[in-house]
Amino acid sequence: MLEIKNIHKSFGPNEILKGVDLKIEKGDVVVILGPSGSGKTTLLRCINFLEKADQGHANFGDIDVNLNTATKKQIHTIRQKTAFVFQNYNLFHNKTALENVTEGLIIGRKIPKAEANEMGKKALDKVGLSEKYDAYPSELSGGQQQRVGIARAVVLNPDIILFDEPTSALDPELVGEVLSVMKNIAKEGTTMLVVTHEMSFAKDVANKVVFMDGGVIVEEGPPKEIFSKPKEERTKQFLHRVLPEDYIFYI
Amino acid sequence: MDFKFLVDTFFVALSGVPIALIITIISLLIALPLGFMLALTRINKIPVLQRFAQVYVSFIRGTPVIVQIFIVYSSVPLLLTSLFEKYHIDKNVYDINPIWYAFIVFSINTTAIMIEIFRSAIGTVSKGQLEAAYSVGLTNVQAFRRIIIPQVLVTALPNICTATVNLIKATSLGYAMSLQEITLRAKVAANVGYNYVEAYLDIFLVYLILCSLVEYVFKRYEKRLSKYKTAHA
Repeated sequence: MLEIKNIHKSFGPNEILKGVDLKIEKGDVVVILGPSGSGKTTLLRCINFLEKADQGHANFGDIDVNLNTATKKQIHTIRQKTAFVFQNYNLFHNKTALENVTEGLIIGRKIPKAEANEMGKKALDKVGLSEKYDAYPSELSGGQQQRVGIARAVVLNPDIILFDEPTSALDPELVGEVLSVMKNIAKEGTTMLVVTHEMSFAKDVANKVVFMDGGVIVEEGPPKEIFSKPKEERTKQFLHRVLPEDYIFYI
Repeated sequence: MDFKFLVDTFFVALSGVPIALIITIISLLIALPLGFMLALTRINKIPVLQRFAQVYVSFIRGTPVIVQIFIVYSSVPLLLTSLFEKYHIDKNVYDINPIWYAFIVFSINTTAIMIEIFRSAIGTVSKGQLEAAYSVGLTNVQAFRRIIIPQVLVTALPNICTATVNLIKATSLGYAMSLQEITLRAKVAANVGYNYVEAYLDIFLVYLILCSLVEYVFKRYEKRLSKYKTAHA
């Protein structure tokens, strides 16, 4: 459904992505793991044109775009097919929770306001925020804000939702509520591409794990394989550092 | 102290308020969007334009308004005369209402101030707001209109209020181009019987009332706009 070919991206002299290929099928939950600076976030941002890739192609089923030379119209089309969940939520500060969720529907998709409000309320109910329709982001906790962020993405019913470290800015005790919301929407068959450091999410929910390092994909496969018998030395080292000992029986 | 004169002249001065307000409003209508766009050129480092904005601001900020008035009031008529001659337009430049020169001077002046106000205010809205707007499928224009500008305005409003009040007060310099505004009207009335103290007191009061009203309106608007900031569960 989404196929990315040969993405390259440099910031000045630093080459962050050195040719990344990735294939995602409908309903897949793909988790990207890797140390900081390995290019995970940049990859996500390039797919949604928040950064302009130096070269590369993205194929969304029926349309194929060059990530470097895409026209404004193509970029707009791709953004309509995708949704993004940000590390620091990026809720619209001047809008209530419900307005945050309906903004893309009413303004971006021209859905009538009454209908959009119904959809928005349903999405907020789904993430457990039925009581907070009219709350402004400043009145919500980090976990609640991120759940609004997820509702804002889900309500658009996009082909794929891109999650950029959705729990990294949260207090540890709030991580759980966000992860359980993500698990629920994964169960509903939402296609997700998730950059995260939450190994439990990768192991329990993902059906494909991608390990990135130094701007390339080092290894990819089902979580069982990656976690229990990684082939590459680099993957082993990384898992050894981030996972508690008892998960790694083979060492 | 001539109290009858004091009261009469108060209303004379008051009759200059519409002119002061029209100049203020026209200048703001021109300066607000222009200042916002030029501020964007500075923030996004648009090659030629950002340099232009920078030089423009330092020229305007570095010179007194009264000098700017003298320059426009003496040079624009000369320019127009030669233009009229060239295109055979039968119009005497000295028939032009000086309010047009006031529009020019105060728009140029206020634009420079707005550039600086918006430049700092836009900086307070994080880039993530724009990215989030793009990610839910908003176009550039929609994102600015719905998300960025409302937030920029909240931060900029106190400074825009100060600039507006300063602008109203600066229109008093319009007397230098014989503009029939508050100051000139009261001064002319005073010339007859040398009642300067009363006239100046009237001018003082009119500006004070006018500026206080404007400040009040801004405060109300600011409160409404910043509802989302002060909201607490």
